[in-house]
Amino acid sequence: MMNNYNPIAALAIFFIIVGLIYVFFRPVKGWFWLLQKNFKSNEKVIIEDVLKQLYHFENSDNKVDMKTLVQVLDFNNSRIVEAIKKMTINDLIYFESDILKLTEKGRDYALRIVRVHRLWERYLADKTGFNKNEWHDRAELMEHKLSHDDAEALSAQLGNPKFDPHGDPIPTRTGKIAQVNGVELPRLPVGAVGKITHIEDEPDIIYKQILAENIHMGSLLKVIENNSTRIVFRSEGEEFKLAPIVAANLTVAVIEKEVVIEDNIARLSSLEEHETAKIIGISRESRGESRRRLLDLGFVKGASVSIDLVNPLGQPNAYLIKGTSIALRNDQAAKILIKKD
Amino acid sequence: MKENNIDKIIELSNELRWQIGDEFHDNLTEGIYADAADIVKDTVKTNDSEKRFRLDAKIDKIVTSKYFGFPIMFLILGTVLWLTIVGANYPSSMLATLFLDTIHPILKSGAENVNMPWWLAGFLIDGVYLAVAWVIAVMLPPMAIFFPMFTLLEDFGYLPRVAFNLDALFNKSGAHGKQALTMSMGFGCNAAGVVATRIIDSPRERLIAIITNNFSLCNGRWPTQILIATIFIGAVVPESMSSFASLLAVIGIAVLGMAFMFGVSWALSKTVLKGEVSTFNLELPPYRPPRFWKTIYTSLIDRTLIVLWRAIVFAAPAGAVIWLISNLHIGDETIAAWLINGMDGFGFLIGLNGVILLAYIVAIPANEIVIPTILMLTVMVTGIGGGAGAGVMFELDSINATGDILRAGGWTLLTAINLMLFSLLHNPCSTTIYTIYKETNSAKWTLVASIMPVILGFIVCFLVAQIWRLAF
Repeated sequence: MMNNYNPIAALAIFFIIVGLIYVFFRPVKGWFWLLQKNFKSNEKVIIEDVLKQLYHFENSDNKVDMKTLVQVLDFNNSRIVEAIKKMTINDLIYFESDILKLTEKGRDYALRIVRVHRLWERYLADKTGFNKNEWHDRAELMEHKLSHDDAEALSAQLGNPKFDPHGDPIPTRTGKIAQVNGVELPRLPVGAVGKITHIEDEPDIIYKQILAENIHMGSLLKVIENNSTRIVFRSEGEEFKLAPIVAANLTVAVIEKEVVIEDNIARLSSLEEHETAKIIGISRESRGESRRRLLDLGFVKGASVSIDLVNPLGQPNAYLIKGTSIALRNDQAAKILIKKD
Repeated sequence: MKENNIDKIIELSNELRWQIGDEFHDNLTEGIYADAADIVKDTVKTNDSEKRFRLDAKIDKIVTSKYFGFPIMFLILGTVLWLTIVGANYPSSMLATLFLDTIHPILKSGAENVNMPWWLAGFLIDGVYLAVAWVIAVMLPPMAIFFPMFTLLEDFGYLPRVAFNLDALFNKSGAHGKQALTMSMGFGCNAAGVVATRIIDSPRERLIAIITNNFSLCNGRWPTQILIATIFIGAVVPESMSSFASLLAVIGIAVLGMAFMFGVSWALSKTVLKGEVSTFNLELPPYRPPRFWKTIYTSLIDRTLIVLWRAIVFAAPAGAVIWLISNLHIGDETIAAWLINGMDGFGFLIGLNGVILLAYIVAIPANEIVIPTILMLTVMVTGIGGGAGAGVMFELDSINATGDILRAGGWTLLTAINLMLFSLLHNPCSTTIYTIYKETNSAKWTLVASIMPVILGFIVCFLVAQIWRLAF
């Protein structure tokens, strides 16, 4: 029936097919995705990315010439030059000697892109299960796709949010934008108390380090040590040590003395058996559906909580809240703030 | 002038919103929650704190303890499964005697007496009736035993503790601890297991549980596994060891299914499902004496009869198709023979054969009729004696005789092993597919849940076949 069959040949063909599928469709670097990206990076995308980069550079008071711009953007150089020519003609940017600057019109356009980007990050945070470290890249793709009306509808659906999940303000439809309160963490003196209002998500490497440390948006912190090699602060019952370059990506709003600061705030995950505690609140890191679920279950301010059952495998532990036993995983319990009795 | 005022007010309100910040909205909601909790605390009196700390806490300490928790769990779930598989044999054989050995011949001779044309009698009695009767006889008893026992455990409050104990394992593969329960339910019936995923309230984890439920070896597949293992695996070891070896093989397949469940759950949660919302929480309700009769009633009506009804609805046309392809001719050959010849090449490549593939296609409605269909088709295409005629499914009481038919059909040890693997890794039955569609309301996820296991099955069988042929 199958004269020319032999198992080695069959296996070889199989592995060649598997290999081809891998080369084409592996995440991010698969040929299929690269081709798709190349195909889609049309002029509009380049123009919008240029505008956005200029906007961010101008906001941080940096000057940009052609050379830096080409370095920052991941496109074919000649296409960037072409796009910039077109943008000058359309009155989106202008040159001041060799420094690139946004015109009023260009700034408006850039703000619209920033608005869509931050709205989309908000959407990903509140309405989907994507991991934090994917938000930025997904929003980068989406910002070129949503029209003005789409963005309006999205904003309305999300309840017109004012900040994205990293704490960056979302520009309004009319192009207004609020300032982030606070200063970079390394600029706080020892003993200062503040609240984290912004976590910068670029560059990627530093952002991932911050995520790995389990630092939460909206947490209160107290600086313990601040020198050129490291910055140490206490927050929610735990001690964090960061290199200054990492700490610079955290923005902290200093809190005036009049505000009462709960000194012994801790995370529910640190509760031991036989201890009881009162709930202070839920961290802002717990969002959307899971935050609502926790509230529904009775994890509200003032409720008392204790450990009901310790799990044989370490987690989830069961907490006794309002007479009911509810099991939570450790990463969830870390987002509930308590004050031990 | 008036216009101007309104604009100013809107501008002011926008300005104020920035100043209040984003937390305002959340703080307000949470304030309301906290107030409501305060009101409840002042007005509602409870004394359940006392109760909670007596018997419940003691039971919980034992069933979730490091040393007793897992043995207790395996003991209880193992007993339920064993009672189902062994206990269902007796009523099943009684039903089979009644439907297949008594009523079927009566219907046939009745049809002859009223001069019904042979093709109509064949189509209706050998096709439709036989498939439906078969499904009822094999499917009803295990479900009627398994579901009430499982529901009693659920009602007592033990099952959430199982989820609690096992959650850490499931968490590693991106799934929910309650998937342990829907998986166990799947050992009874995948369709019921899919319905049971309603207890998982997190969308992503629920989809994972639905899509991977098929990796639990269901009641319709246990008998296939046991039969094939007894005939082929039992034969390669010394006589005294044979029943132990075949038992080990069947358990091995079930454990392999769990391994696939974990692996596929992990892969799904890292790829196609990573965008779905995920929330986790697990309530551990207080224990209570099960409401025995109510539980028996609801589990029989809600689970057993609904699933059985769906199976019957799908089995009837399948019976018709099986009879038709075995009796309609194109040229010199029956349709079945054409299909079998067409698929033999591919079947050989993955260590199976055309008969098995065709049986799995026409028996999509119920795994229970796969073996009877294989036997009927094998007898038909090999032309050996025995059997009940073209298109009439049958099974033999003697395991040896069954083995003889299969060996005459060209089966080897490799065919047997791959059949056991393919029985684990193939599309869910049409009842389950329909249930998945009902539960997810999405053609896309239904398609994924149906196609993905077959592809896995092809790949695994293919690899096993090639390696086997290289080694032996």
